[in-house]
Amino acid sequence: MPPAVEFRAVTRHFGPVKAVDSVDLTIAEGAFFAMLGPSGSGKTTCLRLISGFEQPSAGQIRIFGEDVSATPPHLRNVNTVFQDYALFPHLTVLDNVSYGLMVKGMGKTQRYAKAEEMLALVKLGSYGHRKPAQLSGGQRQRVALARALVNEPKVLLLDEPLGALDLKLREAMQDELKALQRRLGITFIFVTHDQSEALSMADSLAVFNQGKIAQIGTPAQIYTQPATRFVADFVGSSNVLPPTLTQALGGPAKWSSLRPESLRLAQTGPLTGTVQSQRYLGTGTRITLTAQGTELAAFLPAGQPIPPEGTQISLTFPPNALHIMDDTP
Amino acid sequence: MTPASFPARGLADRLTTLFWRHPRILLVLLLTPPLLWLGVVYLGSLAALLLQSFYALDSFSGLIVPEFTLKTYAQLFTQSNLSIILRTLLMASAVTAASTIIAFPIAYYAARYAKGRLKAAFYLGVMLPLWSSYLVKVYAFKLILAKEGIVTWVATSTHTDWLLTAALSLPYVGGNSLATSYLGTFTVFCYVWLPYMILPMQAALERVPTTMLEAAADLGATARQTFWTVTMPLALPGIIAGSIFTFSLTLGDYIIPQIIGNSASYIGMAVYQLQGTAGNIPLAAAFAVVPILIMLVYLTLARKAGAFDAL
Amino acid sequence: MRSDAPLSLKLTAGAGLLFLHLPILLIFLYAFTSEERSFAFPPPGLTTKWFAVAWNRADIWPPLILSLQVAFLATILALILGTLISAAMSGAKFWGRDQLSLLIILPIALPGVITGIALRAAIPMLHLDFSALTIVLGHATFCIVIVYNNAVARFRRLSGGILEASADLGANAFQTFRHILMPNLGTALLAGGMLAFALSFDEVIVTTFTAGVGAASKTLPIWMLDELIRPRQRPVTNVVAMVVFATTFLPILGAYYLTRDGAETAGAGK
Repeated sequence: MPPAVEFRAVTRHFGPVKAVDSVDLTIAEGAFFAMLGPSGSGKTTCLRLISGFEQPSAGQIRIFGEDVSATPPHLRNVNTVFQDYALFPHLTVLDNVSYGLMVKGMGKTQRYAKAEEMLALVKLGSYGHRKPAQLSGGQRQRVALARALVNEPKVLLLDEPLGALDLKLREAMQDELKALQRRLGITFIFVTHDQSEALSMADSLAVFNQGKIAQIGTPAQIYTQPATRFVADFVGSSNVLPPTLTQALGGPAKWSSLRPESLRLAQTGPLTGTVQSQRYLGTGTRITLTAQGTELAAFLPAGQPIPPEGTQISLTFPPNALHIMDDTP
Repeated sequence: MTPASFPARGLADRLTTLFWRHPRILLVLLLTPPLLWLGVVYLGSLAALLLQSFYALDSFSGLIVPEFTLKTYAQLFTQSNLSIILRTLLMASAVTAASTIIAFPIAYYAARYAKGRLKAAFYLGVMLPLWSSYLVKVYAFKLILAKEGIVTWVATSTHTDWLLTAALSLPYVGGNSLATSYLGTFTVFCYVWLPYMILPMQAALERVPTTMLEAAADLGATARQTFWTVTMPLALPGIIAGSIFTFSLTLGDYIIPQIIGNSASYIGMAVYQLQGTAGNIPLAAAFAVVPILIMLVYLTLARKAGAFDAL
Repeated sequence: MRSDAPLSLKLTAGAGLLFLHLPILLIFLYAFTSEERSFAFPPPGLTTKWFAVAWNRADIWPPLILSLQVAFLATILALILGTLISAAMSGAKFWGRDQLSLLIILPIALPGVITGIALRAAIPMLHLDFSALTIVLGHATFCIVIVYNNAVARFRRLSGGILEASADLGANAFQTFRHILMPNLGTALLAGGMLAFALSFDEVIVTTFTAGVGAASKTLPIWMLDELIRPRQRPVTNVVAMVVFATTFLPILGAYYLTRDGAETAGAGK
């Protein structure tokens, strides 16, 4: 069984700028895959390379084993949920959802029936006659989803799908999207700059930095074993320790990472410093200190005494928490 | 399972694929007809005009001699032709200045205070005269400024005819009646081009954020200070954009001074008469180059002042 | 901010608006005057006979019909060319894009007399005779920018995504054009076309340069210009002026209502 999407040394440059720089990537069928990175890191260009709105300057893209370099977007069996939803303002919700079936020549009765079915699936069964302008942000998002899914694509692409929603709605939609993906079994690929969204929704993800993939793995791998300083810093803002400090803590002379929540207060410990600031976060308190010349953050769970600013403290951590990284920045 | 891609179904699909792979083909297809029209016909005409201005009219035969010469341009510097150019420039400047002053309260009110329906009414109230028939508007002033017309009637019935008489007896700008004086020509120019000043001015004033005015007030500026130190500098590009229109349109007009005025000549009239009755296309062309050059200088200055963003 | 304007500002703004509109109303009044030789105010008497006189004047109908034909043809040409350019300009950036946008506004940015004399000088070089067709040629040149302005503003407002969304859902370029682009661009094109029609219908400056001699190239504005210079029955000219005004007024109003919801209200730049 070929992978759903495969990039082979794909490069895309805009003038002198390499938006995507020789990327190799394999996404398995049925995966819920996230592309995570800051803006300008190349993740959105990768998504547009799959949908066909960008063409690679070099390299090859395969969808289910098929080379799509000569296939324009409208002939690819791939659909997209756009960031701003891109609903057709002049068509009703029902006509929006059945648009893909209409242009492929399906009759009116049949396509409306399928569209109604899909609208029911996204819980918008009674909204078919409305225009997009009469819907809320969350409802538009569901219409965009239904409009893409009704075509039964092999791969569904989602470009920052939850970016425009408020926090509460975003959390509800995260669960719904995940349930929908399980139920339909379609490969979902979504782009986001929000690391918590990527970690909580995807079953595997790629972290992008400057047109290259910094790391691919499961959320747990990415979170606990960041491959590079960039990943450690970008995903969950881990403490990044320079080689000298790593060595002082008993590791090799390499960069390493230490998660704030793995640090514990102790009478004596390998890390000592003065508390500089504290930030209450509800589930705990995040304190910062400078220890051995490096600024560190520690997360102290709620329910224990918090050392006030200016006090000298010692910190300890379980031996396996110190994660050694490779030398790429 | 459905495949990863669909086969092309016909010519439409294949053409779409072609446009996707080579976007330039579509671009060329889209641009060829308009470029043939504007690039070849229109620019070609302007080039032909420029070329003609370097020819000269043979004074004996009255025929155009197609040989390069600067003689025709030299003719622009004769006393009578220079005074035509100077008169046109003075008129354009005066009209621009007056339009700015008359336009400002309308634009300022519409941008700052008018809301909802009143705003729409103001907008339409400016836009309709802008677009509606130029000739009808000029004609209207022929009625108004005529010696027996409404202006004289109003002046007589309000016993202010002394004012009218005084205005008409002014040296140089006055005349026999409003319809046959510089004052009349000036009034009509102002009337006809006024909407061109109001709209960009209003747009620029609308772009001045109210929060910025509040910030100025918050920092202790009086209303007058806020107006001169915040509103005006920010609205200036719009005013300059409007002045491009009033200036350029006055420079090139030849109908208004022909119908209302003291038969003094302007650049536009000179161009029209030279190509028509005199058949002196080279001199007409050279005259036409004058407003082009003036406008190029004006546009360069305006671009420096940021007026293009306000267009 | 004060929410109410000072009285002096209200009065000057109101007076400015009146100054823009009263003269046009006077045109209407003089169409009913019983005085035919002068513009005496107030009119000595009122009559509706000039409408009948105008209706029966044989020299008015051919210019009216010619003006309508010219405006119609110029509008069609401007619609085609203006839409093509706006489509090209709304897409990807290409070399010469800025120069092209300057070229489009040139016919309207330069004084009409320049466009007129340029065409006057060039048309004989193309071995064309001055006729009604050369009038159309001139009008279409400056009408392109009107259509272009309306269309390109709408293109800008259209969420760029919807054309991509259509392709993404399987529509080819022609289906996207028909089902997505035209319905969304339609009112902007209609508005642009109406403004172009109004502009062409009463254009006189370029027309005087590109028209041939004789009745076959006499548009209604040229007829009016003749009457202004050598008046015959003055109230008849007023009746015609009313017709010209109405013929331009209605499309302008229509264009405004077609585009007023958008950011690109038609007519904001002529």
